[in-house]
Amino acid sequence: MSTINELISRFKEIADNPKKAMDDYRAETGKGAVGIMPVYCPEEIVHATGYLPIGMWGAQGKNISKARALLPPFACSIMQSSMELQLSGVYDELSAVIFSVPCDTLKCMSQKWKGKAPKIVFTHPQNRKAAQSAANVFCREEYLHVKEELEDILGVQITNKDINNSIAVYNENRQALREFSDLVAENPGLIRLRDRHAVIKARWFMEKSRHTALLKELNDAIRSAEKVPFNGKRVIVSGITLEPYEVLDIFEEFGFAIVADDLAHETRNFRQDVPQDEDPLMALARAWNLFDGCSLATDADKPKGRILIDAVNKYKADAVIICMMKFCDPEEFDYPILLQEFAEAGVKNLQIEIDQETTSFEQIRTRIQTFSEVI
Amino acid sequence: MDSININEASAKELLGYFQAKLDEEAWEAKKEGRLVCWSASVAPPEFCVAMDIAMVYPETHAAGAGARKASMELLEVADQKGYNIDTCSYARTNLGYMELLKQEAMSGERSEVLKNSKAAYVPLPDLVITCNNICNTLLKWYENLAKELNIPCIIIDVPFNHTMPVKRHNKEYIADQFRVAIAQLEEITGRAFDYDKFFKVQEQTQRTIYWWNKIASFAQRKPSPLNGFDLFNYMALIVCARSREYGEITFRRFCEELEAKDQAGKYAFGDASTEKHRIAWEGIAVWTFLGATFKGLKAQGSVMTGSCYPAMWSLVYTPGDLESMAEAYTRVYINTCGSNRYEEFYKVVRDSKSDGMVMHLNRSCKNMGLLNNEGAEYVNNKMGIPFVSFDGDQTDPRVFSDAQYLNRIQALSEMMDAHNS
Amino acid sequence: MYTLGIDIGSSSSKAVLLKDGKERVSQAVIQVGTGTSGPARVIEETFGGLDITIEDMDYIVATGYGRFSVEEADKQISEISCHAKGIYYLYPTAHTIIDIGGQDAKAIRLDGKGNIGQFVMNDKCAAGTGRFLDVMSRVLEIPLSELGDVHFKATQWAFVSSTCTVFAESEVISLLSQGVSKENIVAGVHQSVASKACSLVYRVGVTDDIVMCGGVAQNKGAVDAIEKELSKKIIVAEDPQLTGALGAALFAYELCNRSKRS
Repeated sequence: MSTINELISRFKEIADNPKKAMDDYRAETGKGAVGIMPVYCPEEIVHATGYLPIGMWGAQGKNISKARALLPPFACSIMQSSMELQLSGVYDELSAVIFSVPCDTLKCMSQKWKGKAPKIVFTHPQNRKAAQSAANVFCREEYLHVKEELEDILGVQITNKDINNSIAVYNENRQALREFSDLVAENPGLIRLRDRHAVIKARWFMEKSRHTALLKELNDAIRSAEKVPFNGKRVIVSGITLEPYEVLDIFEEFGFAIVADDLAHETRNFRQDVPQDEDPLMALARAWNLFDGCSLATDADKPKGRILIDAVNKYKADAVIICMMKFCDPEEFDYPILLQEFAEAGVKNLQIEIDQETTSFEQIRTRIQTFSEVI
Repeated sequence: MDSININEASAKELLGYFQAKLDEEAWEAKKEGRLVCWSASVAPPEFCVAMDIAMVYPETHAAGAGARKASMELLEVADQKGYNIDTCSYARTNLGYMELLKQEAMSGERSEVLKNSKAAYVPLPDLVITCNNICNTLLKWYENLAKELNIPCIIIDVPFNHTMPVKRHNKEYIADQFRVAIAQLEEITGRAFDYDKFFKVQEQTQRTIYWWNKIASFAQRKPSPLNGFDLFNYMALIVCARSREYGEITFRRFCEELEAKDQAGKYAFGDASTEKHRIAWEGIAVWTFLGATFKGLKAQGSVMTGSCYPAMWSLVYTPGDLESMAEAYTRVYINTCGSNRYEEFYKVVRDSKSDGMVMHLNRSCKNMGLLNNEGAEYVNNKMGIPFVSFDGDQTDPRVFSDAQYLNRIQALSEMMDAHNS
Repeated sequence: MYTLGIDIGSSSSKAVLLKDGKERVSQAVIQVGTGTSGPARVIEETFGGLDITIEDMDYIVATGYGRFSVEEADKQISEISCHAKGIYYLYPTAHTIIDIGGQDAKAIRLDGKGNIGQFVMNDKCAAGTGRFLDVMSRVLEIPLSELGDVHFKATQWAFVSSTCTVFAESEVISLLSQGVSKENIVAGVHQSVASKACSLVYRVGVTDDIVMCGGVAQNKGAVDAIEKELSKKIIVAEDPQLTGALGAALFAYELCNRSKRS
């Protein structure tokens, strides 16, 4: 059995080199990659084509220059770097790119795609609860559109059986990830925060059954590892992303362990499985309908606070840290409500600002350190 | 409130009268135990009006607060609640106002800020209705209203049309939601939905929209008898009263006045020689500096003759046909793919015979602002006319700079002169 | 015929006096702008030692942010048009103008005949403008005039965000506390200005010749950063602070001729 460190370094290599992951996949399978813009793309449909779905979550510390000509300064940080990458040709080898449009910035981004690959745009329904069945029918049609576009662009046929297989592969991956997150929480201090992140991030660049296989090995290794002493604080993080490594290192520096995350980049993708349905596109549509707790999935009940507070209790967390993506208005709208709910439930919390372009983290360090001193 | 002779009043008097009357009716409804609904500006009011629910429009309320220089103190209330200043200032103005009303309702005491506010005094809602045909921000904002006040939220989700024309499944989904909204209203009111009245309300809505579009058409005449900035003022009634006769009465009167003006050789700024340039304005008004933005243009002899913004309420459909109504509410140009959106903008600029374009890069409105340049360049390629962009905000006065604006407007005017000579 | 162009900016006042639309009789720059003694002093300095006064001017055009405060002016013209005019007069092959002044950065596209094809300006934020460099010079304790020389001593350019001045200021402070050399930070500051300014240039299109004017053009470090960002050679206008006033004086000459003809 490989050691924890060996396994983690394999995840890390992939998480840090998406280009190589894509090239390796092509060399091995003869098939290319399909870019997946944030957020909540029914990736299973892409997986069913045999192409590699590859996540497009911007880049860290990228100097934003040409993108400024195309986006005003108040577009969110991920989209600024995404645009910069588009303009510098980073995405030109993709065979297609899929856009979802759950916020105003993504709607506009989907209409100013500057890469060479053909784009596919679909819209998630947002009247998910009161008009559930109509929303599912609509969502299924949109996913059908994605499927048909992929078939045209890639010159493949996608059968229901293919999609059902992919759903099973993804659900298995989701389950392994939930296990991983829980195992890390049970033995805080064993897995470094940057490693936890790398393991989860690697799934955006790996064929999922391979990610699952490697992850199961890692989970086994963690299970049999000795308990390490931990005197720090247990926190839950919520937001769109929590990167780069340097910020996670600051968490660690002041004794914080992440016992669960509520990030659009991480757990929100695998908190729930896709349900069973004879019609796989309807199964995927229903998954969107059942999905709760993200600012980009409308629900007038606003369950995010309740979900976070439940998690605080379940994982015996000391606090919640809100990682606010700069200029992400859906997340910014959730924040004042969360503040009230946290106050009522007595949940300690802190907000930090995430900006992909930043390379200096003094402000975050000050906040985290102060927070560590007061909780 | 003062009464008015409807038959003799000017359009401007009617506008003021009916705006006040709508707020008063909302208070009456509240006192009589009938329901008050807060609504997104381009959400369909037909259902609520058919059920005799009084409507209040937070966007119009916030715009009015901005125009009266009363938005800042409301924005500060929202700031204190944790609303990031990067979020939409209509939402923040309204959520700040809602907070003050909520505090009043809970404590029985009206705070100093509320007492002294120049914003119109409107009642808290019993339900809200939202529609995302102009932005998804309206989903988040109304989620928060419903959560804060613990009241029902009716959502009309009109999915972004990434492909045009509007797909059949989009229309069906929206029409289905109309049926859901009807059922929700039946449950909330405890009464059966009044389909007969609904049909009449739809007909009324279509008449109001007919006269609204007619007003805008006056700006296509050259020289223009209509000062396009007036549309920003009259917009209050196409938003708040399109399903009532108030809008129709006022707009019809305004059309008569414009026709008479044109006959008499009187135009937006006076006689024909005062119209030096015609410009298209893209984006929401800078309510907090409405006068300054207008005067800057007027000083250059630039008449605003075209704008896509007022045309968002051109919600033409066939009464009795829910799918036709669904299509009208979803094909709003900023809810469609870029190619359709730019073409719609181009048509407005072309039909208004504009010589230049002023693009408001509105800090509050990502959905409009992020494709401003693409739209302007599309029109520039087709017509060769120049454009300028300026930074501003609909109701947050901190974003706009008068000197920067005037500078750009003058440069545009110089470019239009060079282009025309 | 004598014409005068006065450019009252946010942080400096400039004037150019022309004879017959060609001969530069006199010019002056005062390093304070609108709302100060600058406008009066720049006029005083322009006519100092001459046997003519402002009364002898056939036509005066004012430009810049303070253009409406110049009572002597016959006409006000925006500095976008004036810079374009001045630059085209000096460099007829110019197609792209980068003007970075005290509180504005602009990119202007010329059509080859001196007409403005398109122009874009910075947003309200001061990032990427002269004001931004003022702030940085203060934080770094290096005089503004020395930033250009310090820039070329950098061994590795530090990264400074171009999002906003306040942001960048706190970044620079944390770079200082991390022990990054001032030279490297200065180069990073210039890179930040360049990145912001070039975003405007990209929008109008990058077409040779590229001419830079405005106060920041005197800073060789900023020019170097912009050249690297665009991978293009840039011509720094002679007397880069004065091109707006020169354009205004040229406009004055044309307008005076036109009014005489009619």
